[in-house]
Amino acid sequence: MGRTGTKSAKWGLGIAAVVIVVVIPSLNAFTPPGGLFHVSDFSINLYGKYLCYAILAVGVDMLWGYTGLLSLGQALFFTLGGYMMGMHLMRMIGDLGQYHQPIPDFLVFLGWHNLPAFWRPFDSFPFALLMAFLLPGLVALTFGYLAFRSRIRGVYFSILTQALTYAACLLFFRNSLLMGGNNGFTDFKFLLHHDLRVPATQRGLYVVTALVLLLVYAGCRWLSQTKFGLVQQAIRDSENRVLFSGYAAGYYKLFVFVLCALIAAAGGALYVPQVGIINPSEMSPEKSLEAVVWVAVGGRGTLVGPILGAIGVNALKSWTTRAFPDLWLLILGTLFVLVTVFMPKGIVGLPEQLHALRRPFGAKLTPAAPGPPEPEQESAKTR
Amino acid sequence: MRFGLTLLGLASLGCCCCSFAGGPDASAVRQKLAQAILSEGQEQQRLLGELADSASKIVADVLNAWSRDGVYLYNSPDNSKVPVLLEESEDASGKARAIRIDNGQYLKDAQGVELRFSRSDLNSADTDMRLRSAIQQTLDTLALADPDAAARRSAVLKLGNSRKQRYLPVLQSRLARETDATVRKAIAEALALLELGAPDPKVQLAAVEQLGRLRALGSLDVLKGVVARTDCPPDLARSARKAINSIEEHLWWVNFFGTIFHGLSLGSILLVVALGLAITFGLMGIINMAHGEMIAVGAYACYVVQNLFGAGFGFSITLPFNFAGKPISFGLHLPGLNAAGWYYESYFLLALPLSFISAALAGLFIERTVIRFLYRRPLESLLATWGISLVMQQCFRMIFGANNVQVNSPSWLLGHFAIHDVSFGYNRVFVICLAAVIVFATWLLLTQTSLGLLIRAVMQNRSMAACLGVRTTRINMLTFAFGSGLAGLAGAFLSQIGNVGPSLGQTYIVDSFMTVVLGGVGSIVGTVCSALGIGTADQVLQQTTGSPVTGKIVVLVAIIIFLQWKPGGLFTIRGRSLD
Amino acid sequence: MKKYSITLAACALMLAGSSICQASDTIKVGILHSLSGTMAISETSLRDTLLFAFDEINKAGGVKIGDKSYMIEPVIVDGASNWPLFAEKAKQLLEEDKVAVVFGCWTSVSRKSVLPVFEKDNGLLFYPVQYEGEELSKNIFYTAEAVNQQATPAVDFLLAQGKKKFYLIGTDYVYPQTTNLILYKYLLLHGIALGDIGGGLRKDDSGKVISAGKYTPFGHTDYQQIVAEIKQFAASGDACVVNTINGDSNVPFFKEVAAAGLTPADCPVVSFSLAEDELRALPTKDLVGELGCWTYFMSLNTSVNKNFLDRWNAWLKTENHPGVVKEKRAVDSPMVLSYNGAYLWKAAVEKAGTFDVDKIRETLESGAISFDGPGGKITMDKNHHATKNVYIGETRANGQFKILKSFDQVFGEPFLLKGLDEKLNK
Repeated sequence: MGRTGTKSAKWGLGIAAVVIVVVIPSLNAFTPPGGLFHVSDFSINLYGKYLCYAILAVGVDMLWGYTGLLSLGQALFFTLGGYMMGMHLMRMIGDLGQYHQPIPDFLVFLGWHNLPAFWRPFDSFPFALLMAFLLPGLVALTFGYLAFRSRIRGVYFSILTQALTYAACLLFFRNSLLMGGNNGFTDFKFLLHHDLRVPATQRGLYVVTALVLLLVYAGCRWLSQTKFGLVQQAIRDSENRVLFSGYAAGYYKLFVFVLCALIAAAGGALYVPQVGIINPSEMSPEKSLEAVVWVAVGGRGTLVGPILGAIGVNALKSWTTRAFPDLWLLILGTLFVLVTVFMPKGIVGLPEQLHALRRPFGAKLTPAAPGPPEPEQESAKTR
Repeated sequence: MRFGLTLLGLASLGCCCCSFAGGPDASAVRQKLAQAILSEGQEQQRLLGELADSASKIVADVLNAWSRDGVYLYNSPDNSKVPVLLEESEDASGKARAIRIDNGQYLKDAQGVELRFSRSDLNSADTDMRLRSAIQQTLDTLALADPDAAARRSAVLKLGNSRKQRYLPVLQSRLARETDATVRKAIAEALALLELGAPDPKVQLAAVEQLGRLRALGSLDVLKGVVARTDCPPDLARSARKAINSIEEHLWWVNFFGTIFHGLSLGSILLVVALGLAITFGLMGIINMAHGEMIAVGAYACYVVQNLFGAGFGFSITLPFNFAGKPISFGLHLPGLNAAGWYYESYFLLALPLSFISAALAGLFIERTVIRFLYRRPLESLLATWGISLVMQQCFRMIFGANNVQVNSPSWLLGHFAIHDVSFGYNRVFVICLAAVIVFATWLLLTQTSLGLLIRAVMQNRSMAACLGVRTTRINMLTFAFGSGLAGLAGAFLSQIGNVGPSLGQTYIVDSFMTVVLGGVGSIVGTVCSALGIGTADQVLQQTTGSPVTGKIVVLVAIIIFLQWKPGGLFTIRGRSLD
Repeated sequence: MKKYSITLAACALMLAGSSICQASDTIKVGILHSLSGTMAISETSLRDTLLFAFDEINKAGGVKIGDKSYMIEPVIVDGASNWPLFAEKAKQLLEEDKVAVVFGCWTSVSRKSVLPVFEKDNGLLFYPVQYEGEELSKNIFYTAEAVNQQATPAVDFLLAQGKKKFYLIGTDYVYPQTTNLILYKYLLLHGIALGDIGGGLRKDDSGKVISAGKYTPFGHTDYQQIVAEIKQFAASGDACVVNTINGDSNVPFFKEVAAAGLTPADCPVVSFSLAEDELRALPTKDLVGELGCWTYFMSLNTSVNKNFLDRWNAWLKTENHPGVVKEKRAVDSPMVLSYNGAYLWKAAVEKAGTFDVDKIRETLESGAISFDGPGGKITMDKNHHATKNVYIGETRANGQFKILKSFDQVFGEPFLLKGLDEKLNK
């Protein structure tokens, strides 16, 4: 964190932001297709997806790297936000679906003739946007309140979030929930009177996603430097001391938990129109674990790390499923193991680790692996 | 018991030819059998009906073989077809002698030399569904005289359900000679069902009352049909309704006990799966996301042992990299023992300890290479073990293929027995018993042995134990290996009940974590209680809501809410430290 | 400095990678299947058959247009049983690799997730797996079995055998739900009483039945209660089970059926998602006599089929594509329909004289393209579905099917619900 305060780092971040928000979409819009600098429509779409994942990763990092809460259920909030937006997009298809009926296709082949009551308000975009934040927020509030009130911590908290997301996944797979079941929502056509299938709309969505990412990053950076952020990091380092110092740690944790759920929901709401499909398998425990892995690979406890991790790991996945379709799980799995064991600070912390290795002989060598003891409760106990 | 029948059948087909030579009665039956095989349609049905009355063991054996494509047709030089059976024992070139069905002698050519065929040389006699059900009915009638009580009982019930009046005298004469109580009850039920079709209303009334008294589950539909009939006399309808009520009450109790048993069996599976996790998690603070893959290791070990007892096991892996122009590949082929009969069925007894050992070795390997760096970092252990689980899944896919592999249950685990209409499957009873044995053994290990004492010491306070001279690294290794070995045993069980594939582990991960966390980390008693509790609750909810998923969701939410109230789980181990 | 340079480097790499030029005289063809994840079990075999078909075509000289021959260059991507990834890979194949045609998808959700991509980019997809129908896209050609080429012939067969009670069970997603709804209406039309259709009925607010049968989620393993219910349902004889459980869950289901003592002679089970490939993993000794209904069985005794199997086995011995398992292979209907699809496409291209999607579509819709496949003659029709033979078989202990009945050249009709509704309301 200290490193990113330096002037050169600030310049670096600024240039990166300009590249992402301005340069890449311009290359897509203004250069001729097939040219050397052209960014294809497919790529813009892909990058937009990566940036949505980056938003999710920043949320996970705020919880894990800054507050010490490993939540294995962030994908649940991401997907809930996506579903709310998806419901609106399904209504916007109108009667251009496969069956040319005014209600969504999956309801038609389930035998419904009229729209169920709870679908009707989603015709309006503001309502859908509100619900995209409200529903995940409420779920987070309820679960978080119950969990933090009973001082559930550490590993138990992680497993409980995993159970929550698994239960929700099972629930959403049921066709009787009238949320698309296993097929989910797909075949979107219009958003706010823009045709989703046109490259200009996809470019616009990409820019919006990039701006939201910047906003989230800036907001989290600001928060981590306020007094609230200090308490948050103190909770990560030793919650008991924070409690003894008179702070109601539960409420701080609850606030961060709900905030990160909202961040994830924002990512989800932007993800759905770009990918074109939402389905309950997005809220499976494996997806949440993937998000955690992005943060771990990128470097937790920093805010740039998760962004790098999300983009990097997903790019690697896109490439390996193409180049080595039979081996990519092996590659990814080995990568995670190596990063966890040997690079606890992730990519962002790699220069520091290598620097530590290069100390001259005779001076005390700090081992590069497994790294300094983590500020968890266990090591606090042994001090 | 059923196995005994099969063995008897095989033995009599294979070894002694003397049993096939018989007196004049036997030869008439044989001729009829051969005729039945060669004929078709109505003629065939008629001959089969006649054979049903023959009460001959030979008929039962041949009909069993016929329904399994075991009867072959030999084209003799004079253009007639001769039905034959092939002997079990084959010579070096895989050919066996053929036994003629019509006279029980070996098939000989014109010079009197015994002919030998392999199974692919001859066409088997065709059967279709209708013929097979006719054969089954004949077998059922013959089965009325079967030495095995369960076979007699199911044969009796089938005859009753057929509603054919001509079986009445057969059943009545059987009732006079029957000694076994359950079979007598079944005969009474079958007789009542048949009498329902009698023209005399008094007989019908008596039959309906009898069915109600017997609480015959299979007659529910028939009784409802009687009530629904428009020409039904009021007293018959009344007593039919009474019978239906008493049967439905009995059904409710059957379902109740059945649900409890299902809950116990599901709970015991969860228990075996979660016990290993409880040990590694509770005693070491390591979240092992690769626990599911340890289960898969055990299941695959079972598969390998099954193949080694059978035809052999081999695999080959081709990598997408080229070296000197050729792709890199390596493989392994092990010859099989080609065991048969009891020798082959006993593979499971060997597979159990091998599953334990192979999973324990895998766990040991993982512990030495990766886990030992992560003891103070539980959240990192989660990530690293998840990475390991991805690697292991892909390895399974590469070695065994992405498909599920076939693991057959040994025949002594197949089937079920019933008490008062509640059926208990042998494999599930086996799992329950073995789960109890495993829990007991673990408890013994942890409380009565010195190793167990050391393990508990390390769990309570690792640093203090190290200061007192306990070799914590060695304890860690052994504990992790033990926990993984238990998972391997669970995998061996699961191979009997479900499918074995690369993603076997993923199905059980969330459930096993829930069980461990609910039971209280580090507590064996807690794991037992929570596993049985979750299993029973899941089954009861499934029974009441009618949907398998709702039950699971409710159980998960209930656990989450319960943990708000008791965050440590059911049985917490209270220490003095704050965390 | 280091952070943004990493980002810039990544961007540059992606830019560079996006321009791939095509070698001359080859034509790129996409294979879009799950090679990992839950569906890998079924879909890897489809990739293998497609590679076999392409190797055969290339050996015979490739695809001929005019006097030029084009060798097929397959581009294989892994959808990883992840539906959004399928959409991304479809986009990649059409926009980046610019393939001429894609052969792929197994589950309906994967097909539905790539459908908008194919319609937007005007691509061509050949879909080979039996499905629920009720769909017709101008960019997809369905060599798959429609419901009237699988489910209804099987039910007809069971009705003819005298079965009066039907228990419906399936996995909870669109294919079993729609198929069971169709079968429910079909059974009512054929005089089966409402109480004799087992598994439960769900109605909407107005009382209309919107779902029939019992449903379990993917990967469900505990069938004790359900099998006990089936046993009670079948206690009176004359019952059968219609099974649309997909994938892994079939194994615990059938093991439970065997343990409960339900024999095929008492209560046969007809499964629509089990073919020879899946039977390799099931305890087939317990399944002898259970039914299946497909448009191809490996045990078909025709010379075309025997020839095909010989060539397939020979190819397996000599090929060296990574990931293809050589031992203990079985061939089943979806694999053969993939193979047929490849040859139908080749025939259409050669007749139309171009790789252009619109012209190929016209040629295929004309009904003139047919191919003598291992399962019999298959002809593509105007409604994008294929006319082919239908076979009903029963399982043997060696995992093969014995063919009981065959229907020749059944026309594929995807839209059945509306017609059944009209007949029921009359």
